[in-house]
Amino acid sequence: MKTRVLAFCSASAALGLLMAGCSGGSNEPAAGGSGNGKDLEVVSFQGGFGIEFFQQAAKEYEAKHPGDHITVTGGPRVWEQLRPRFANGTPPSLTWPGWGMDYWALIYDNQVFPVDDALKTPAYDGKGTWKDTFDPSLLKLGEYKGKQYELPYHYNIMGWWYNPDTFAKHGWTVPKTFKELLDLCPKIKAAGMAPLTYQGKYPDYSIKGFLFPWVISIGGIKAADDAQSLVPGAWKSDAFLQAAKMVKQLRDAGFFEDGASGLSHTQSQTDFLEGKAAMIPCGTWLESEMRKTMPPGAKMAFMLPPVVDGGKGDPSAIMIGIEPWIIPTSGPNHDLAIDFYKYMTSLDKAKQFITQCGTLTAIKGSDQITLPPLLVEPAKLFRESKTVYSIQFDTWYSTLGNESKNAMEALMNGSNTPEQFVDRLEAAAEKVRQDKSKPVHTMTH
Amino acid sequence: MKNRGRTAFIVTYLAPAVLLYGVFVILPVLQAVGYSLFKWSGLSSKKTYVGFDNFKQLFHDDVFWQALLHNAWIFLFGGSAILIVAIAVAHGMQGESRATKALRSVYLFPNIMSLVVVAILWEFVYDPHIGLLTSVMKLFGGGATHRSGAAGIDTSILGSPTQALPAVIVTFVWFAVGFYIMLFSAGIRQIPQEVAEASKLDGAEGLFRFRKITLPLLWSVGRIAVIYLVINTLNVFALVFLMTQGGPDRKTEVMLTYLYEQAFVNSDYGAATALAIANFVIVMAVSGIVLRLTRKDPTGVSH
Amino acid sequence: MNAVISVGKKVLTVVALTAFTLAVLIPLLWMVLTSFKSGPEIFASPWGLPGKIHWENFSHAWQTAGIAHFFLNSLIVTVATLAFLIPIGAMAAYVFARYPFPGSKLLFGTFLGGMMFPQFLTIVPLFFLMNTLKIGAYSLYDTKLGLTIVYIAYSLPFTVFVLTGFFQTLPKDLDEAAMIDGASHSKVFWRVMLPLAKPGLIVVGIFNGIGLWNEYSLALVLIPSEANRTLPLGIANLVMVEHYQSDWGALFAGLVIVMVPVLIVYWVFREKIHETMLAGALKG
Repeated sequence: MKTRVLAFCSASAALGLLMAGCSGGSNEPAAGGSGNGKDLEVVSFQGGFGIEFFQQAAKEYEAKHPGDHITVTGGPRVWEQLRPRFANGTPPSLTWPGWGMDYWALIYDNQVFPVDDALKTPAYDGKGTWKDTFDPSLLKLGEYKGKQYELPYHYNIMGWWYNPDTFAKHGWTVPKTFKELLDLCPKIKAAGMAPLTYQGKYPDYSIKGFLFPWVISIGGIKAADDAQSLVPGAWKSDAFLQAAKMVKQLRDAGFFEDGASGLSHTQSQTDFLEGKAAMIPCGTWLESEMRKTMPPGAKMAFMLPPVVDGGKGDPSAIMIGIEPWIIPTSGPNHDLAIDFYKYMTSLDKAKQFITQCGTLTAIKGSDQITLPPLLVEPAKLFRESKTVYSIQFDTWYSTLGNESKNAMEALMNGSNTPEQFVDRLEAAAEKVRQDKSKPVHTMTH
Repeated sequence: MKNRGRTAFIVTYLAPAVLLYGVFVILPVLQAVGYSLFKWSGLSSKKTYVGFDNFKQLFHDDVFWQALLHNAWIFLFGGSAILIVAIAVAHGMQGESRATKALRSVYLFPNIMSLVVVAILWEFVYDPHIGLLTSVMKLFGGGATHRSGAAGIDTSILGSPTQALPAVIVTFVWFAVGFYIMLFSAGIRQIPQEVAEASKLDGAEGLFRFRKITLPLLWSVGRIAVIYLVINTLNVFALVFLMTQGGPDRKTEVMLTYLYEQAFVNSDYGAATALAIANFVIVMAVSGIVLRLTRKDPTGVSH
Repeated sequence: MNAVISVGKKVLTVVALTAFTLAVLIPLLWMVLTSFKSGPEIFASPWGLPGKIHWENFSHAWQTAGIAHFFLNSLIVTVATLAFLIPIGAMAAYVFARYPFPGSKLLFGTFLGGMMFPQFLTIVPLFFLMNTLKIGAYSLYDTKLGLTIVYIAYSLPFTVFVLTGFFQTLPKDLDEAAMIDGASHSKVFWRVMLPLAKPGLIVVGIFNGIGLWNEYSLALVLIPSEANRTLPLGIANLVMVEHYQSDWGALFAGLVIVMVPVLIVYWVFREKIHETMLAGALKG
């Protein structure tokens, strides 16, 4: 009996251990030099368009630079693997960690290599400096205390989406002002659709799709900049209060889809694509995100959120967001990382990215191609816009970001009044102001 | 003769367990106590000593007290529901009929399932579009959504500030009750046969017998059950994290979901470990109080 | 009158117990039912029977969603953990049960305390400990080996607790008798005591096995990559990250796949579990 038990235990133990040990983890030690050239490890967030483009770019670079060896790996929650690597001092050489990484904490802790010197060097194709190849309004978003830390690659434009076929069928015109919106919504309801839906589970969509556009429309870009810069009183300014009241107005009139507050992004976006709702806030990633599950024949088109009649703000104001790449300070081979990133940001590669992945890039002139149809309107609006802005306070100050999401959720489902809403935001901003350990950022236009 | 190699034996046979436990459980605990005295993002080696600041900050943190309150609700309401159902079912399960045999086979089902499966399943049960519960509600004229209160809050169940926590508690009870049924079954079995027989002869029947005989004799089991409840409700994490992530607007936030946020979203490891220590201290304190309060049981036997 | 009351009580009991059984079973049956439906059917009629049995939901879940892979990972980790946990736990429990020494009560108490810890107290330092401990050039973080070791360590309190109780119930003079015959301490353990504790080993094995199969929190923090992901994490990931929400059928099929092995093991051993847990659950 004992021998059998022991035998069984040791056999399965050995087997188990063997399998557990052999099947690898993904924490390969940083490769040493193999061949004449250097090695580069690139880790990328894996989203709607995957990482194939970057892997392909790596192969092309290797062909042009024999001896250099580049590996590109990624995952949908890759920041979780990167966190301990940063703490241990063994990060990759070049990385796009994704939305779950606290970029600014890395920057404050000197974990990110500033690339100002690199930007002054020539671009990959030799024409002009590397810095000149970037759209300055996007490059600016990665700066801190005058130094460049984050590098943009692709960027997203945030706005509202509607189905042009549905609008055409019912003879509806795209509302350009809030008043037009209020006139249109009852007609939409009469046709059996919800006028608006939103991603209730993720209130940052509502912050970006409803709150800030209306704050800017009412109070000008300064109202938003002051808030993001934590100017005292900015979060409960008249602009914020009015914008919150506009949200309440829509809710009270029943213009939001029933139950939207409990919907995830895919659920609400599916509802939009299936025609249950007429309009939804989202970014230019909408199509690539929903591609696999869209009902056949679903159509979408981009529109700017309706502006406020008589508002101070620039009606062409447009919201963008960059997806930052960084070069970790403790990563090996900065030079190779920079050179490879230069290759990725060369004009041809940038143009190819747009076509292949369906998203715009931060490289000047990259949109001078036949754009994928859904990007035509957003790209045009971006080019013509006189005020390009981005929401960054939530990445700068995570506690303020969390509280703003909670407060927005409460505003959207009615448990907070607009007055309570702005008070909460101002209180959260005050807490951050009081916290001397938090570096201060300013946003200007 | 018994001492022949006794010490060597003790050491050898305890060593693997003590070593593993010491390195992977005790050591991290001690380190956690250490981290709580620093400000650390967890993203680099830069740590700043701040003494008890993390604890002071925790004490003044509204979210912490809110979370603790929710843990308390889960303990009080979920716990009571569990106790009542468990005792009732355990009592009713004592026979040998086919029905009770069948019941004995299935009562543990929810408890042996992965919390992930439970959380996702019940998320769908509550889902406004395809949900089990909501389609039942529709039968009775209710909606997947509702307008509650003067403000006319219009949400789904898990998105409702008032309904989310009760919904989570219901799921928790469904999941956890099996274990307590087992506990109380064991307790009832232990009631000496003679006492049960004697009381029957005396004419004590049904509810009366239950109240006067069964219940007091379940006292010691009850204590164990309550202690388990304290631990499980104060340490609840996966269920809440998966179903609501602490939302909407922190209405289902519990201590451990907030800990996760502090550590992995706010990059504030010092605050996270301070919270973990506070959580542990609270569990120990409440358990201690419960043990003390329940020392004497109604039969006059002190424990 | 008494007859009426007692019949009434019986009816009440039956009704209450039936209600309870239904409450337990209905969500599970609904889950299985839904896993056989197609996407549109799920939306249209949550209660209705599927038009035909959509077995492809299961193959989708198994292959496309990669559940086969997560299943294998969970299997490897669970088996490896149990293979070490049971001997190590039994060895320690035996000492605690029958070899008192100064400080043994304190040490035992330390193990018990482990059952009360929020695992989250240790997750942060454990995270970094796993990264620091290296075998060659590889750290233990994000490896099945690392997860196995951690699982063993964290399952020890419960295992030691239950098995100590078991060893304590074995007759006191059994080891005396065996040792008079010339057996050493270890021979007594492996040849005499362990076989006698078989019911306890089975129960501990099954309960730990189920717990390990379902474990989520530790794996969430220690296994970020897809290669090593265990089943509960894989399912949660499917819902939260991969947005499989549109393939509801496959998602439900995935839930069923996670649930089935556990149910099978439980069903096979249900009487034994019930009996031995009743005996063991009350010690302490």
